[in-house]
Amino acid sequence: MLMIKTENLEKVYRTEEVQTKALHHVSLTVEPGEFVAIMGPSGCGKSTLLNLLGLLDEPDGGSLQLLGTETSRYSERQRAELRKRSLGFVFQSFNLIDELTVFENVELPLRYLGVGAAERRQRVEQVLERMQLLHRRNHFPLQLSGGQQQRVAVARAVVNAPPLLLADEPTGNLDSASGHDVLGLLTELNEAGTTVLMVTHSEHDARYARRVIRLLDGQVVLENSRSQF
Amino acid sequence: MLPYPLLLIYRNFKRFKSTFFINLIGLSTGLACALLIYLWISDERSFDRYHALDGRLYQVLENRRTAAGIETQTGTVPLLAEALRREMPEIEFVATTTPVPFFPAFTLAAGGQHLTAVAKYADPSFFQLFSYPLLVGTPATVLRDKHAIVLSEALAIKLFQTPQNSLGKAVEWQMADRKQTCLVAGVFAGVPRNSSEQFDCVLPFASFKDQMQMSEAIKWDDDGPFNTYLALKKGADPAQFQAKLAGLLKTKSAQAQARGRTLFVRPFSAGYLHGTYENGVATGGRIAYVRLFALIAGLILVIASINFMNLFTAKASRRVKEVGIRKALGASRAALVGQYLTESVVMALLALVVAVGLVQLVLPQFSALTGKPLALRWEPQLVGASLALALGTGLLAGSYPAFYLSGFQPAAVLKGKLPTRAGDVWTRQGLVVLQFTLSVLFIVAVVVVNAQLAFVQRQPLGYDKAHVLRFDTGGKAARQQAAFLSEVKKLPGVVQASSVLGGFLGGRYVAEMSWRGKRLPVGTMLVNYDLLETMGLHLVAGRSFAPQFRADSAGIIVNQALVAGLGMPDPVGQRLDGARIVGVVRDFHYESLHEKIKPLLLRLDPQINTVLVKLQPSAEQATIARLQQLYAAYNPGFTLDYTFLDADYQAQYVAERRVAVLARYFAGLAILISALGLLGLAAFTAERRRKEIGIRKALGASELGIVWLLTSSLTRLVVVAIVLALPLSYLLLQRWLEGFAYRVAWQWWYFAAAGMGALLIAWLTVSVQAWRAARRNPVLSLRAE
Repeated sequence: MLMIKTENLEKVYRTEEVQTKALHHVSLTVEPGEFVAIMGPSGCGKSTLLNLLGLLDEPDGGSLQLLGTETSRYSERQRAELRKRSLGFVFQSFNLIDELTVFENVELPLRYLGVGAAERRQRVEQVLERMQLLHRRNHFPLQLSGGQQQRVAVARAVVNAPPLLLADEPTGNLDSASGHDVLGLLTELNEAGTTVLMVTHSEHDARYARRVIRLLDGQVVLENSRSQF
Repeated sequence: MLPYPLLLIYRNFKRFKSTFFINLIGLSTGLACALLIYLWISDERSFDRYHALDGRLYQVLENRRTAAGIETQTGTVPLLAEALRREMPEIEFVATTTPVPFFPAFTLAAGGQHLTAVAKYADPSFFQLFSYPLLVGTPATVLRDKHAIVLSEALAIKLFQTPQNSLGKAVEWQMADRKQTCLVAGVFAGVPRNSSEQFDCVLPFASFKDQMQMSEAIKWDDDGPFNTYLALKKGADPAQFQAKLAGLLKTKSAQAQARGRTLFVRPFSAGYLHGTYENGVATGGRIAYVRLFALIAGLILVIASINFMNLFTAKASRRVKEVGIRKALGASRAALVGQYLTESVVMALLALVVAVGLVQLVLPQFSALTGKPLALRWEPQLVGASLALALGTGLLAGSYPAFYLSGFQPAAVLKGKLPTRAGDVWTRQGLVVLQFTLSVLFIVAVVVVNAQLAFVQRQPLGYDKAHVLRFDTGGKAARQQAAFLSEVKKLPGVVQASSVLGGFLGGRYVAEMSWRGKRLPVGTMLVNYDLLETMGLHLVAGRSFAPQFRADSAGIIVNQALVAGLGMPDPVGQRLDGARIVGVVRDFHYESLHEKIKPLLLRLDPQINTVLVKLQPSAEQATIARLQQLYAAYNPGFTLDYTFLDADYQAQYVAERRVAVLARYFAGLAILISALGLLGLAAFTAERRRKEIGIRKALGASELGIVWLLTSSLTRLVVVAIVLALPLSYLLLQRWLEGFAYRVAWQWWYFAAAGMGALLIAWLTVSVQAWRAARRNPVLSLRAE
């Protein structure tokens, strides 16, 4: 079973006067356990693709299979269900909720999964410890450095052990040391079995991946594995 | 540690403090209003419901066909109760009573004490029908003896110190020129405040029949002024009983059949709120005010809820990213809707706590205003109603924001930018328009209600109500009415004096009369000599009653409405209802301005004892002291209880006056809450357009120009609200005014004042914010970007 399979995926943005094709006939596959980087210049459709793969947006055409299931015609409820069970997200701007503490941010996916309080606490503490953040558990995001915030975001993304982790420019807002740190974490997770799909425009970051898919003007122009870098 | 949802709410409130306070003030004042109105409405609805047989207790009413349509009256013939008892097995108890306003006050004397008291006559089953618990005596027997009297506890204590002490004691009553001695057979606990009739003692109807020598004289053809009440047996079908009752009069009287007289029953407790009939159909009564105030409470809550909706969605730009994150993490839309609804319900519950405090604070004033001793008694019903109000308001206020916020695509909002959707802007603007439409409606209502009340004061009444004193005589003054009145007239400071049955103002006993084949319902006012002179009534033909014309005892004076109604070309000297017309008086408003002036005749009866005295304006107090002296000389131990006619006149409009004051308060609140909402909205607009303002200023825009930029869009909304509110307010208030037969004419400035008032308030509110935004250093705004 493939982790991701898209065929002729389309996404069009429309305003009253202009129609922009953000993605055009994008077909790709990702095997379980892969670490794939999606690269390309600004505006090439990287983030749009990631949003579609993460079911945060709906395609205008084509097919999108996640974990062997066709999702392009999913209802909002079905997409929410799949997101909370199988997907983890890491964003460039961390996207932590400012009103929640580190602990509360990380436990949020478990709440939506209906996990009981005792188990939640145990799993959150476990993942925070692994990210070396346990001592920050009662801090609010704005009290942390950028690197720490992104580590919280990674902790939140993996707390429910999703098979697929989607990362959108995870180092974009970080200094190089923190960036390295976060990419190390993603590699570790990948080695432990999580499939990782990362959008980046940094060649340096892409080297952590085993395969790179290059996009230009909404189309896949090149796919190469690490050996071909 | 707070539970998780409350913790989130607490942190959000902390983050948006000013919004929180605007919402708290708006929702709590709205809920306080609604709670006050709830207290008033539940008091109104409690009237006459305290009887154990409530639900089976009915009053018999009569419909009768007249030229003007079907007339409904509570008066029934006194033979009815006995016939019902004999012929209708489904009846458990039935009783005839005299209506309370039928008599002036009685004077009760016992052991050298004299007290005035309100009395009614009733059949023996009265205390079985109605729940006035007897402290002394048993319900079934207490009114059996013709010489019995049943006193209220308060009266018994005043006369005999204790209820037990009064049993079997003699009490002498006097009313007009009648008096009788009776024995106390029972004492009842008194009439609760929420009773539509208040009385102090009950006498047996049998003794009234004897005094009036009614037994031989009454026929089924008669119009009875008496009230008949009954209780059906448990399980009896009211509809079946109703059908039987409707046919009863036809079997008793051919005349009743010819005149289309039919009987029907109304639940006793419905009479207080649903007392008005038009053409035989119940059209409401006080229930109209209950509905009106319920509507006002609802509207004020809507206005407060709109603030919440608008501020919540306005600040959505700052919360929308959170929606994206939560959705990305797998939150379903239902979970988010639940979260936001919980937030609004918690807000409303918090507002309820503040509202309860506010209600406690203003309850004394509100009680005085409504004339009801209202109190917050935390019985299950009030607790339930308060919680339901808060829950309903919370859900109403939270519904739009919850569905609005939770509906965004996560990809679109994850960057923290609020996608602009034309529909949302329209909705938000529509809500502001709705809010201000309601506010303008309230302002127009205040203006119109006050204008009508001023009109009521200005309207020429056809008589002069100033400086007229009214009191009921008793004792010797009543028995020697002519001598007493002639001495009153001689007192310095007295201009003129007369008397009239049951007071000068109010509805009269109406009977149908015919003249040359024309039939007309005519009211009768029993009057003494000099009434026209005392009240300043104007004769348009003929003369007033005078002692030198002995035939005046069979003479009548009629009003112009009667002359016009019967089409009499030359009324003086004509005979009507067996009496000769001696004069025609110009139409005067003997009822409130709600009623058209109806045909009326004045009949002479020198014995009647509600005295009217016209005083010279300058020395009223001294004259009243002389009157009291004179009265005391006739009746040692009696007190003279008097009122001014002017006050009686004002009492006719007590409901309208309350509406006027309440409308003023509610309009003030509606405006305050709306303005608060506008203030919050203006602040957010200024915040959102900060960069735009910076650029405009950098390009040379003046501060005034910026203020205009920020106020013009909100001004447009308020103008739209005014345009919508004016026709709506015209329609609604015209309906209210139609309750008056004589009403103020609409003036253009009612609308202009309301519109300008709303606009000014809106401008003042918005321009403070706009001015602050306009004065901000553009460099700061631009750098922030």
